[in-house]
Amino acid sequence: MPNNLLSLEMAVAMETEGENHHIVKALNLLRSRICDTGFIFKDSSDGNYSKLKFMISSSVAEACNNSILLLGPRGSGKLAVLDLVIQDLLLQYPDSISVVRLSGLLHSDDISAFKEIARQLCMEHQLLFSKAASFDDNSQFMVAVLKECGLAHKSVIFILDEFDLFAQGKQRLLYSLLDAMQSVSSQAVVIGISCRLDADQLLEKRVRSRFSHRKLLFLPPSIEDSQRLLALMLTLPLESGLPYDYAVEFNKRVQNIIEDKKFKEIFNKYLNFDSSVKHLLRFLFYAVSHMDLQTGFLSRENFETASSSIQRQPKLECLKNCSILELYILVCMKRLEVKEKSLCNFNAVMKEYKSVHDSFQTSDYYARNVCLRAFEHLIHRELICFSDNRGHSLSVEFRPVKLLISSGELYQGLKAYQSCPAILQKLIDS
Amino acid sequence: MHSNLAPFFVYTLRSPHFSHLPHRCFLPHSFIPLHQTLTRTSIFNPSMASTPKKSRQSPSKSKLRSPIAAPVTPHSLPTRRSTRLSSLLTDSPKTPNLVDAFNETPKRRRRIGEKTEPVAKSRLDFSHKDKVSTRNSSIKVENEKDSAQFLKTRSKKSESDEIPFAPQSPEQSKSVKRKRKEEGEKTIELSKKRNGKDELFAPTSPDQSETKKRKRKNEVEKTVVTRAKAARKEGKIAKVQYYKKVVYDGGEFEVGDDVYVKRREDATSDEEDPEMEDCKLCFSSGDEIMIECDSCLGGFHLKCLTPPLKDVPEGDWICEICEGRKMGKDVDFPKPPEGKKLVRTMRQKLHSSDLWAARIESIWKEVDGCYWCRVRWYMIPEETSVGRQPHNLSRELYRTNDFAKIEMESVLRHCFVMTPKEYAKASNEGDDVFLCEYEYDIRWHSFKRLADIDDERENSDEGDSDEDWNAGKESDSDTDEDVDYEEENIKIAQSQPPTSHQLAANLHKGRFSGLQKIGTKRIPEHIRSHKQTNLERAKASLLLASLPKSLPCRNKEMDEITTFIKGAISDNQCLGRCLYIHGVPGTGKTMSVLSVMRSLRSEVDAGNIKPYCFVEINGLKLASPENIYKVIYEALNGHRVGWKEALRLLNERFVEGKKTGGEADRPCILLIDELDLLVTRNQSVLYNILDWPTKPHSKLIVIGIANTMDLPEKLLPRISSRMGIQRLCFAPYNYQQLQEIISSRLNGIDIFEKQAMEFASRKVAAISGDARRALEICRRAAEIADYRMKKLALNPDNVAAGKGLVCMADVEAAIQEMFQAPHIQVMKNCSRLSKIFLTAMVHELYKTGMGETTFEKLATTVSCICTSNGEVFPGYDILLQVGCKLGECRIILCEAGAKHRLQKLQLNFPSDDVTFSLRDCKDLPWLSKYLM
Repeated sequence: MPNNLLSLEMAVAMETEGENHHIVKALNLLRSRICDTGFIFKDSSDGNYSKLKFMISSSVAEACNNSILLLGPRGSGKLAVLDLVIQDLLLQYPDSISVVRLSGLLHSDDISAFKEIARQLCMEHQLLFSKAASFDDNSQFMVAVLKECGLAHKSVIFILDEFDLFAQGKQRLLYSLLDAMQSVSSQAVVIGISCRLDADQLLEKRVRSRFSHRKLLFLPPSIEDSQRLLALMLTLPLESGLPYDYAVEFNKRVQNIIEDKKFKEIFNKYLNFDSSVKHLLRFLFYAVSHMDLQTGFLSRENFETASSSIQRQPKLECLKNCSILELYILVCMKRLEVKEKSLCNFNAVMKEYKSVHDSFQTSDYYARNVCLRAFEHLIHRELICFSDNRGHSLSVEFRPVKLLISSGELYQGLKAYQSCPAILQKLIDS
Repeated sequence: MHSNLAPFFVYTLRSPHFSHLPHRCFLPHSFIPLHQTLTRTSIFNPSMASTPKKSRQSPSKSKLRSPIAAPVTPHSLPTRRSTRLSSLLTDSPKTPNLVDAFNETPKRRRRIGEKTEPVAKSRLDFSHKDKVSTRNSSIKVENEKDSAQFLKTRSKKSESDEIPFAPQSPEQSKSVKRKRKEEGEKTIELSKKRNGKDELFAPTSPDQSETKKRKRKNEVEKTVVTRAKAARKEGKIAKVQYYKKVVYDGGEFEVGDDVYVKRREDATSDEEDPEMEDCKLCFSSGDEIMIECDSCLGGFHLKCLTPPLKDVPEGDWICEICEGRKMGKDVDFPKPPEGKKLVRTMRQKLHSSDLWAARIESIWKEVDGCYWCRVRWYMIPEETSVGRQPHNLSRELYRTNDFAKIEMESVLRHCFVMTPKEYAKASNEGDDVFLCEYEYDIRWHSFKRLADIDDERENSDEGDSDEDWNAGKESDSDTDEDVDYEEENIKIAQSQPPTSHQLAANLHKGRFSGLQKIGTKRIPEHIRSHKQTNLERAKASLLLASLPKSLPCRNKEMDEITTFIKGAISDNQCLGRCLYIHGVPGTGKTMSVLSVMRSLRSEVDAGNIKPYCFVEINGLKLASPENIYKVIYEALNGHRVGWKEALRLLNERFVEGKKTGGEADRPCILLIDELDLLVTRNQSVLYNILDWPTKPHSKLIVIGIANTMDLPEKLLPRISSRMGIQRLCFAPYNYQQLQEIISSRLNGIDIFEKQAMEFASRKVAAISGDARRALEICRRAAEIADYRMKKLALNPDNVAAGKGLVCMADVEAAIQEMFQAPHIQVMKNCSRLSKIFLTAMVHELYKTGMGETTFEKLATTVSCICTSNGEVFPGYDILLQVGCKLGECRIILCEAGAKHRLQKLQLNFPSDDVTFSLRDCKDLPWLSKYLM
């Protein structure tokens, strides 16, 4: 985010002047608000936050074992809410909670997962950890510590991020964890986080039988909720040390922007793609970071730039950077495809290229080795790819390739390309 | 605490003189330590000698009990009422709930006044005796072991810190048990002998005491001498002799007893030990009924109160002075009249740190003849690092892991430290009853619950062993249970000394080191002062972890398992056998086997069955199938070897019949849970294990548990022929059974609507018949109800917060959460483009009839749909991202996004689900025409 950095630098410069001190302050306030998950997720009374907090805190207070799954698409705030809840509970029960965090991406095999659990438990209780301990040692150690913790009224909270990845193989980790929770003395909560909605179906039946199947579903907010959140986030508080007049004016302008029809269009188009909270916050952060520090107010243009800088069209941009020769190759491949020759290799493309050149007498005719370079370049950019993984020993020229860009996009790209030869346009039109 | 040992060093210096005391007859009066004169009183207690059976009881106890034996009407009795609560409630501040709690608990009345007469008598005796000035710290040896053996047992135990019956080390526990048994028998013999002696002496009257005393003493001397000689004959280096029970100074002290220990030598007011404390207002004891304040534990005559009470009130009672103090007023107890010294009971001294309480761990006689014991200190809450916490009960003590060797001289008399459960039942032990629930670590200043040891014990003597225990008590012998308990305590007592270099905690070198560090610095208040609501109690009893008292609906299967095992091990021949148990998860397979093993163990204890070893292994907890040899060998012999070596040794034992010791001759029961996990490629592990029972000398019984019915059929024929003969099927529970299981757990807690429970059990029975599921649904329903109730309670407008019952709606919600896949909700709430994307997929499916499509085809469909409905086509790249996001949630199955237009897509759910969820979409009403 170079723009962001730039505005920060400017902000620092402004601060030395002292003139626009309150503008910088307002900007900082908005930014910290956007980054603060508590501000977003805590307010709702019947939301997942209060439900989850009730579940975990009652398991801690009543010394029972629970296993909970947090499900929902990416960016819907599963981990953020959980972190908030755990922060709160650590304040509420300072010595009776210890947290063990595992990620499916790092510890999906049982041996490393047990090792990591043992390490974190050792850290938590200031015990000496040995890397050399075996799988059996570590799993027995875990059970022993769970028991001791239970006797000392301590709950161990296991957070398994990317839960679906733990459900591969024999699921020894999950089985041992959930089986250890069947004894009276242990006191543990297992929380799995996954974006796969069928995560609990992945469990083996004996593991599933031991799982307590608490499920919390995190859903993206509706458009109306998002708008409310947007207004809430961008409204400056009137009594926070900011000049009163400035804050009132700022809020008025924000209100105007929100009610603006064009803004609504941008906003809806943005959320049509992905309505998750994280996506919305990213948008807001971009917009706020583009705020004009001279005037100190947000404008609609800020949001427009934010929207366009987030929603990019990578394939079209890729086309924009292609050379003329590369465009020729793409168009040739397209023509071959239309001729029902879905499989082609470099030689076939060269033949087509030659025939195009012969029939239209274009000025751009390059030698074979130059074309090969361009061809390889396209492969690296993933505009075309090899159609199968076999035949690595074959040289590039003989391996069959496929086009990775649809005709519609190619057409659009050629139109947008300024120095595109007219002949190419004609070829693609026909 | 260590610095407090100073007074005992004084004793040590003096001990040579006193060590010979038992052998001398006369001593100048002044030499006798004060507390000895106190304890001596009990010897002349008439009740002691009256019945030989009582002789095992501690003197003070018997003193308390004897008068009660006489039938008396409660009203004429001077009673003192203790309102100690059985539940763990703080005595302050009072909550309205307390009354309820009290009503539920059995009432206890302490009758202190009854004691007055015997006490007075004994005091008389005591004065008389003083004139005669007999030195009568008679010591009787009840049981002895040579020190070497004792040390051996101890060291063996210290190796393992597991609970004796933990399945991981059945071998060890068993050996311990046997030893116990032997000891028990020994004790029985000895105590019989002692009984005989006692009968000889009974009845003892104070006047005859001289001769009797001498006689007894002589005898004692004789036994001691002979035992000592015997020890010497055996040629052991037994310099120190250990005893199980010692009569010292008239008090019988046994290993495992709780005692008061003298702390200061210069305590002035310790001359008397008032068995009966004075009224705090009139400063006399008298025969009136006294009531105990629940805050200061002071006694008050009913008539001395203002206004005077006629009866002991129900519930908690707090004296006016404490009440005044609580209100913030500065009230003092009335000063005693001039010349009347305020006499404190031992309990009061303990609470003001003038005395200590301790538990005797072992007793021995030094070479010089003086008696020593090793004790484990108890601590009053004030002495801990956090001080008295608001939730501490007035009679609460902490057990520490601090040990000390003290001379028996400084032991005063018995007190009774109990677990909360025992405490709740205790009624007549008098003033010296204390409660101990936590252990306090003096090095780390942390607390830990003691509950589990007692739980274990309780589980073990549940049911049949109960009669045993009673029988044992009547015959006045140490039963196995008693000894068990002591052994366990010794075991716990071995909380090893601080190691010089720190070991890694997770390396298993016989035990995990450093676990004692784990503990709370303070006992969290919410655990103790919290009064459980009905819902919370229901939740706790529905927990999977909480073991039910009985196992309903599995009697037939359990009988079958019992007959199988009994048939297998009671044969003299003990031909090995296999049993294969199968059934879907959550039908109580493992639990039934374990409960059968528990009841068999108590039968072993009772002597009905020959002892056996029991090894429990879970296939899923093994790192690899071959590791099972290692685990079995370790469980049987206690050594850790590699699996190949273990296999060789096990083959030696089971195939060649080579027995290594006495224990190896026992039949061995091997329980393998999740048997299917042991299947390797050549199935050698299963073959080996199932082949051993067929060998003539193996004495091995294998019980395998797995889910699939046809596991034997899937295996090689040579294995299935060995395993598949005897099978037992655990059918899924039907709804009546599930209902019975739930209601048996919720016994006495009436918070579930009848239909709600039936609904839950019917639903689970229809789906899986898994009892765990049924319990979890009910627990979740209770949680939902609890959440609902608490939210209503927050809102002051909602006065009618419902009946507090778990209703149908809660169960419905719980079932929804558990069984319904969340995809429909996600599809309803996903972004606009995702909805269009899904609609296009369904449309494509209907159009082509093919489940699978590519991204390019789909994109053209989407653009068609968009243009015909006035929607802006977002572009290929964005559409690709939308598809990938749906793929992440597994609403659709798709290949990696890098394949772009060649990407293959497929719906992960039936197209009807998509239709159902998107049909009534408000933003995009036109979707429905593509979904039909």
